[in-house]
Amino acid sequence: MNAEVLIDSIISGLLLGLVYGLAAIGLNLIWGVMKVINLSHGAFIALGMFSIWILYTSFGIFPYIGIIMILGLGLVLGIITYFGALHRVIDAPELSTLLATFSVSLIIIGFGTFIFKTNPKALDFSLGGIEAGSIVILGTKVATGVISIIFTVLLYAFLYKTRPGKAIRAVSMNRTAAELMGINSSLILALSFGIGIALAMVAGALIATIFPFTILSGGGYELKSFVICVLGGLGSPIGALVGGITLGLIESVVTLGIQTSFVPVLEFALLVAILVLKPSGLLGGK
Amino acid sequence: MNSLEVRDLESGYGEVKVLWGLNLDVRKGQLTTILGSNGSGKTTFLRTVMGIINPWNGNIKFNGEDVTKLSTHQKAEKGIIMVPEGRLVFPEMSVYENLEMGAYTKRGREKFDDSLEFVVSLFPRLKERFNQKAGTLSGGEQQMLAIARGLMSRPDLFILDEPSLGLAPKLVIEVFETINKLREQGLTMLLVEQNVHLSLAITDYVYVLSEGRIKMEGKGEELAESDEIRKAYLGV
Repeated sequence: MNAEVLIDSIISGLLLGLVYGLAAIGLNLIWGVMKVINLSHGAFIALGMFSIWILYTSFGIFPYIGIIMILGLGLVLGIITYFGALHRVIDAPELSTLLATFSVSLIIIGFGTFIFKTNPKALDFSLGGIEAGSIVILGTKVATGVISIIFTVLLYAFLYKTRPGKAIRAVSMNRTAAELMGINSSLILALSFGIGIALAMVAGALIATIFPFTILSGGGYELKSFVICVLGGLGSPIGALVGGITLGLIESVVTLGIQTSFVPVLEFALLVAILVLKPSGLLGGK
Repeated sequence: MNSLEVRDLESGYGEVKVLWGLNLDVRKGQLTTILGSNGSGKTTFLRTVMGIINPWNGNIKFNGEDVTKLSTHQKAEKGIIMVPEGRLVFPEMSVYENLEMGAYTKRGREKFDDSLEFVVSLFPRLKERFNQKAGTLSGGEQQMLAIARGLMSRPDLFILDEPSLGLAPKLVIEVFETINKLREQGLTMLLVEQNVHLSLAITDYVYVLSEGRIKMEGKGEELAESDEIRKAYLGV
C-alpha cells in the first residue's frame, strides 16, 4: 500500500463520514427532543435517494438544487408522519413509538419496492474530480462533504439563534416546563421530527450522488447512524459529526486491507465495544 | 372581581380520584394561598388548573372566560403562568435564554425589555449569571430564575407551587420577601405552600386542602388565629 492510496482513502473517508454524520444528526435530534427511536430513519434515507433520482432523471433538476427541494419535502413528510403515526402514542411507553416508526418504515419500503422494484439505480452525473498528483478526489464527494457541513452549521444556528430553535431545545429539556411558558409542544415535536426526517432524506440524496442504491439501501445507513450516535453519544449533535467522521475513516481506510463485505462486522464490533467500555459515547455526554 | 373561579373540580390519575369537588376563587390583585400537607392534592389541583392533567368534572373560569378545556400553552398565552414545583429551569440553556423562553408568549415578547429590567431589579444576582448555564446555578438561584422566567411572560395570574421547597431558611425568607413585593405591586397570585407561618403572614385569603377537599377557608390573619390550623400545622 503506498502513501497516495492511503491519503486518498483518508480524504474519501472524511468526506463520506460527514454525510454519515449528517444522517445521524437527524436520528439524534429526534431521539434528543422526542425520546423516540426512529426506525423509519433508513426508509427515509432511501426515499431521499429516490427523490433526487426522480428529480434528476425525470425532471432534469440539478442534484444540488434538488437537495433544497428534498429538504422541504422531508420537512413536510416528517410533520405528516408525526401527526399520522406518532402524535397519539408520544406519551405511551417507548415500545409504542418504536412500533409506530417501524410500521412507517414498512409502509415506505413496501410502496417503494412495488414502484421501483429492487434493482440498483445510480445517478448518471459527475462533477469531475480534483487532482493532486496521482490522487483524484471525486467532485461529488467534495460537494457532499461541504454540503453536509453547511447543513450541520445551519441546524446549529437554527437551534441556538432562532425562536423555534430555542423552543425545540426547551422542549427537549423539559416538555412540561416548556408548555407552562406557552410553547405548543406538539407543534415543536412535529417540527423536530420534520427536521430529523429532512436531514435523513438530504443525507440519502447526497449519498445517492456517490453510490448506487436500491429502495432497501436505507437499512445499512440506518445502522451506521445508530453506530455513530453511540460513538458520539446519544443526544449530542457535534458528537454525531465526530462519530460520522470516525466511521467514514474506518470504512474507507480499513477496506484497503480487508474485503468490503467485512466492514459491517467491524462497525458492529466497534458498537458493542463502545457499549461495553464507554456507554456514554466517545465524547462523554450523559 | 375574580381572576380565577374553580367550581366542583374533580380530577385524578388513572382510576384514582384525588380531587373531590373543589371550589376556589382567586380575587384580582390578591395573594391567595392553598395550604395542605403532602398528598392533600395541592399539586394535582394546580396541574389540573394548568391543564397538565385533564379535569374529570367541574369547570375553571379565568377572567370570566371558561378555560376548562384549554391546553397548558393556551392558558399560558392567556396569562396564567405557573412556576412549577422543583423549579424546572432549562438546565442546558443560559440564564438569559431561560428568560427569553419565559417571554415566549405574545404578551411576553411585546414587553421583553421592560420585563427584563424589572426581573433584574428584583434579582440583581441573575444579571451576573446571564451567560451561565441554568443547571449550574444553586438551588436558591434556580428558584429566583424560575420566578423571574415566569414574570417575563407578564402573567395576569401568577401561580407558585411550593417555591420554598428544599431551600435554606435564609433563602426561604428571601423568596417570601419577593412574593410580598409582587403582592404589593398588585400582581394576582395563587401560592401553594407548606410553610404555614410565612404564608399566613403575607397572604390575603387562605384555603386549607386536605384529602382532596377544601377543609377551611378564610382571611389570612383569621386563620392564623384559628385553633384548628394551630393544631394541624403549627403544632401548638
